[in-house]
Amino acid sequence: MAAERTVNTSATGSTAAVHVDTTAKWFLLSAVTYFFIVGIIAVIIAAKFVWPEMLGTIAPLTYGRLRPLHVNGMLFGWLLAADMGLTYYVVPRLCGVKLWSEKLGVATGILWNVIILGAVVSLLAGWNQGFEYAELPLVLDVLVVVAWLMFGANIFGTIYTRKYQQMYVSTWYMMGTILWTAFVYLTGNFATLLTTGVNQANLNWMYVHNAVGLIFTPVGLALAYYFIPKSANVPLYSHKLSMIGFWSLAFFYVWTGAHHMLHGPISQWLQTIAIAFSLMLLVPVWSVVYNFFATMKGHWPKTRDNVQLKFLMSGVVFYLLTCFQGPMHSLRTVNAIVSKTDWIPGHAHMAVLGAFSFFAIAGTYYVIPRMFNVKIHSEPLANWSYWFLMIGGLGFFVTLWLGGFWQGWQWNNPAIPFIDTVIALKPVWIVRFFSGIFMFTGITLFLYNIMATVVDSGGAKAEVQA
Amino acid sequence: MIAKSDKNATIFIVLAVIFFMIGGLLTTVVPPLVDRSWGKAFENSDPAKGPTGKLQPYTEQQLKGRAIYVREGCWYCHTQQTRTLLADTKRSGWRGVDSPVSTPDEFVYDNPHMFGTKRTGPDLSRVGGKYDAQWHRTHFKNPRDLVPGSIMPPFPWIANNEEDFQAMVAYLQTLGRGKNWRPENDFEK
Ligand code: HEC
Repeated sequence: MAAERTVNTSATGSTAAVHVDTTAKWFLLSAVTYFFIVGIIAVIIAAKFVWPEMLGTIAPLTYGRLRPLHVNGMLFGWLLAADMGLTYYVVPRLCGVKLWSEKLGVATGILWNVIILGAVVSLLAGWNQGFEYAELPLVLDVLVVVAWLMFGANIFGTIYTRKYQQMYVSTWYMMGTILWTAFVYLTGNFATLLTTGVNQANLNWMYVHNAVGLIFTPVGLALAYYFIPKSANVPLYSHKLSMIGFWSLAFFYVWTGAHHMLHGPISQWLQTIAIAFSLMLLVPVWSVVYNFFATMKGHWPKTRDNVQLKFLMSGVVFYLLTCFQGPMHSLRTVNAIVSKTDWIPGHAHMAVLGAFSFFAIAGTYYVIPRMFNVKIHSEPLANWSYWFLMIGGLGFFVTLWLGGFWQGWQWNNPAIPFIDTVIALKPVWIVRFFSGIFMFTGITLFLYNIMATVVDSGGAKAEVQA
Repeated sequence: MIAKSDKNATIFIVLAVIFFMIGGLLTTVVPPLVDRSWGKAFENSDPAKGPTGKLQPYTEQQLKGRAIYVREGCWYCHTQQTRTLLADTKRSGWRGVDSPVSTPDEFVYDNPHMFGTKRTGPDLSRVGGKYDAQWHRTHFKNPRDLVPGSIMPPFPWIANNEEDFQAMVAYLQTLGRGKNWRPENDFEK
């Protein structure tokens, strides 16, 4: 099929444009650095569940200020920045032309770093707007919009000047991400300011839900659609199936925000709509996952000595699981048990870390050696980073599900005093902390390997010159 | 149309935005127009129609306390919604009387809303009047002095700043008080 050819010819074609990649490099290197720094914050807040007094008398380091720093840092400092960096790499290759403007790209990268540093300062100082995922002060929100417009202009500029007429799936998902993010972000960060109470909460959840569903999901899938066939060196199984997945995602996702307030003070009919559409999400998810599995059929042994494929295919499995949990949580009976418990962070981390960060890590491991024209510094170390992240991640997800389910069960028996349900969860939080140490070790190895690869490339160049 | 969308970027953009906008508008702009209770403050003087009472706008001091609640991220650990679950109405209840469930009309003065998503600590939607100021002071200094096993962080910078502390307690004491549901108006100060 034509689309399958596109993904292959774009990188191997002898007439392919010469890519400079300065923008992609800067986005990725800063993203990986934030992944590590924010990882430290993550471990600290996990520790605070076990030792609540730790760093407790220093206001900027209290739980309520570090948690938004962890969430925003991981979402915008690491994941979105890495996704943007990889988009700057992938789209020009799929279009067979250079990035529309490398200068604009570098300026976007600088602005993005200014935003992240501003976010660190404001969140530690407690300048928090009080909306989940939209904590940042208004000035920074405006800068995010500007950066997003610069990013969008560059990517669409590249797409409109493309050499290959047919656009591959990854390109659609990246375009979708840029378009939808604009509306979703404006709703969550600006429209909310004009409203109060339940109306505001409804807009807030529309944003929170779609920040994952219409930002991280489509760009994450774009990466999986590009890097799975590339890494396994096989064509994508079905173009048609990828279309079904894309357009059903575009239509179904946005309806589901109110499932964050099931049983809460929001109209019943809206809850029911959110539940119905949450169930329909199984369509885009299963069509995408089927496509990936069918692509890999007969090629699974390749995952053995290919770190990118390990991350990618584990990410696909986590994606399948997390997107099965989501619709199930929105059933009223299940929701009555798991909602507001520790199950939820278990679920959220499987999506954002287990699926989408794994895709971004795989992409980074794939593109950094290619952009810097060297081999990865150490294959074994990359393998270790996978196993640490995988084992730590599983420990984290599984204990929080078991613990959260048990917690919800206890809450539903009002004879049990609340504090007993807190004390009962202590072993769970201890395991979560140690799983966090594992994940952090994986992140550290990842950072080290990437940076060492970049340093290696400098050495290689020096030798050539001498 | 859709078949052409993978060759023509403009068709693609138009379709992607339309697909998104249908659900986007129907679930954000339409609901408050259909359901007026989202924007009308609670008020009822007829006991036959459920709990009586009237939701009051926040005073300046209460707003200051609320701003501290937002700043310190209390809302990452505490929800403010008594859901339509039996256990919630019992846990939010008082001396054997179940609390009424939270309704949209109790939150029209809330900006930013503080419904929350995670209950690391108990729900606070009916905590107004549950404890007196002295209890809160001790609790903010070190929660474990009052509730062994608690994992709530200490907030000495609130407890030791008289103005901030008074504002915070003033805010906490409003929570869930729009509805006058406790028998004999039994509220701590
Ligand atoms: C890390 C999570 C966490 C944070 C942050 C937190 N709390 Fe708590 N809170 C708890 C836990 C756990 C309990 C239950 C044990 C106890 O009473 O200390 C609790 C209990 C309470 C109670 C008593 C509720 C009842 O019905 O008995 C109040 C009031 C309270 N917190 C207010 C606050 C305020 C105000 C803030 C912000 C300044 C805050 N909490 C921040 C975890 C937290």
